Amino acid sequence: MARIVVITSGKGGVGKTTTSAAIATGLALQGRKTAVVDFDVGLRNLDLIMGCERRVVYDFVNVINGDANLRQALIKDKRTDNLFILPASQTRDKEALTTEGVERVLGELAKEFEFVICDSPAGIERGALMASYFADEAIVVTNPEVSSVRDSDRMLGILASKTKKAEQGGGAIPATLLLTRYSPARVDKGEMLSIEDVQDILSIDLLGVIPESQAVLNASNSGVPVVLDEDSDAGQAYLDAVARFLGEERPYRFTTLEKKGFFGRLFGG
Amino acid sequence: MLVSILRLHTVDAAELDAALGARMAEAPELMRDMPVVADLEGLGPVPVPDLLVALEHVRRHGFKLIGIHQGATATEPLAEASGLPLLVLGGKSASEAPAPRAKPAEAAPPEAAAPVPAVHTPTRVVNQPVRSGQQIYARGGDLIVTGAVSAGAEVLADGHIHVYGTLRGRALAGVRGLVSAHIFCRRLDAELVSIGGHYRIAEDIVDGERGENRLVTLSGETIHITEI
Repeated sequence: MARIVVITSGKGGVGKTTTSAAIATGLALQGRKTAVVDFDVGLRNLDLIMGCERRVVYDFVNVINGDANLRQALIKDKRTDNLFILPASQTRDKEALTTEGVERVLGELAKEFEFVICDSPAGIERGALMASYFADEAIVVTNPEVSSVRDSDRMLGILASKTKKAEQGGGAIPATLLLTRYSPARVDKGEMLSIEDVQDILSIDLLGVIPESQAVLNASNSGVPVVLDEDSDAGQAYLDAVARFLGEERPYRFTTLEKKGFFGRLFGG
Repeated sequence: MLVSILRLHTVDAAELDAALGARMAEAPELMRDMPVVADLEGLGPVPVPDLLVALEHVRRHGFKLIGIHQGATATEPLAEASGLPLLVLGGKSASEAPAPRAKPAEAAPPEAAAPVPAVHTPTRVVNQPVRSGQQIYARGGDLIVTGAVSAGAEVLADGHIHVYGTLRGRALAGVRGLVSAHIFCRRLDAELVSIGGHYRIAEDIVDGERGENRLVTLSGETIHITEI
């Protein structure tokens, strides 16, 4: 049976879609058959980040409405084996995501794939609720600043009460924290919350820390998931997170300020 | 048992619905099934059938009506027709009693809370962190939260509140008028603390009062925050 994983945050712009693309690609690179589903109906972005926007024919809502079957709508990733994308519809709104429809589509995906990654829209309305409703576990994406942390906290409360598992009395689904856009230098200057500060407030396990990085922007612009940029700090941090997700223990990297050496200081590093 | 008083200022259906709905929406978990006495004294002389309709509105909004108070305007027929006991509220009048949250008086806001001794009910224990946007109310007793109470979360109890993590949200103890209720917390960094309807907002809690092992008590009308 597949693991259905929701990538969520509450707040917008913290890196949910980048993370969905990176984690899904990372899992596929490890030989795990993975589907990544864009729940952001009306504001579809995942196809751009995955670089498959020119191959979208049918979408998630088409499958829900029975206009197309899953096989027709799933896009096979060209770069990575074992990876498929189910794009969102750009012309519809979140009301098109019916509970029965979402359950049926996720059920079909679960039969074929080992992992189903649900890229949640921002907010706490229908789209976000549907993305998490059938999930087995959650990855909460948070930036190290107060409003993002508070929104994540709100989302964790929703995950504890408004998933199918919780409604059936099964309690909260397991959730882990992925801290993105982390800058040790700014933490040092007191301009940004530290890993400890965020964990103190959210009190959930840490899945990974992704450094603030130009590589993420480059990846988005070129439509190549950042994990495929193996030399980049963000790409490596995401690969570490994927390994931890699969149960491996990895030390955290890029979380402390690297002291520049004498020559580094001389030549500006 | 503690009883709250719902003071009606109108029998106009629309106005009453709006006021009751607004009050219930403020804290549905706290108000639902809350035993209340309807104070009809302020209505003046109103025909019994109209009063019965007004009482029905109160019930429909989720309040549990356990009696009526009419003061000088008391009429036996209403008590008989409604099947509710006619109660005489002793001591200070409802308007002097502390309301859970001081709000400017509107057209018909029902006011709450008159202290009467409480019966012991089991303490409610919450083993999950209380997250932003969540509201937890321990009806009739104490509340123990073993984790943190986040900013944007609200914990309420008729009795004491204990928080064994950091209290960053709002904590309201003795919400139905128990002025001897305390709030204990491992670390206080609250948005609001309230006891028996008296409260202090974050802005009025100075840095020195924030910190580890804090006790919040009420003496007279002043909220004190001290180290345990």
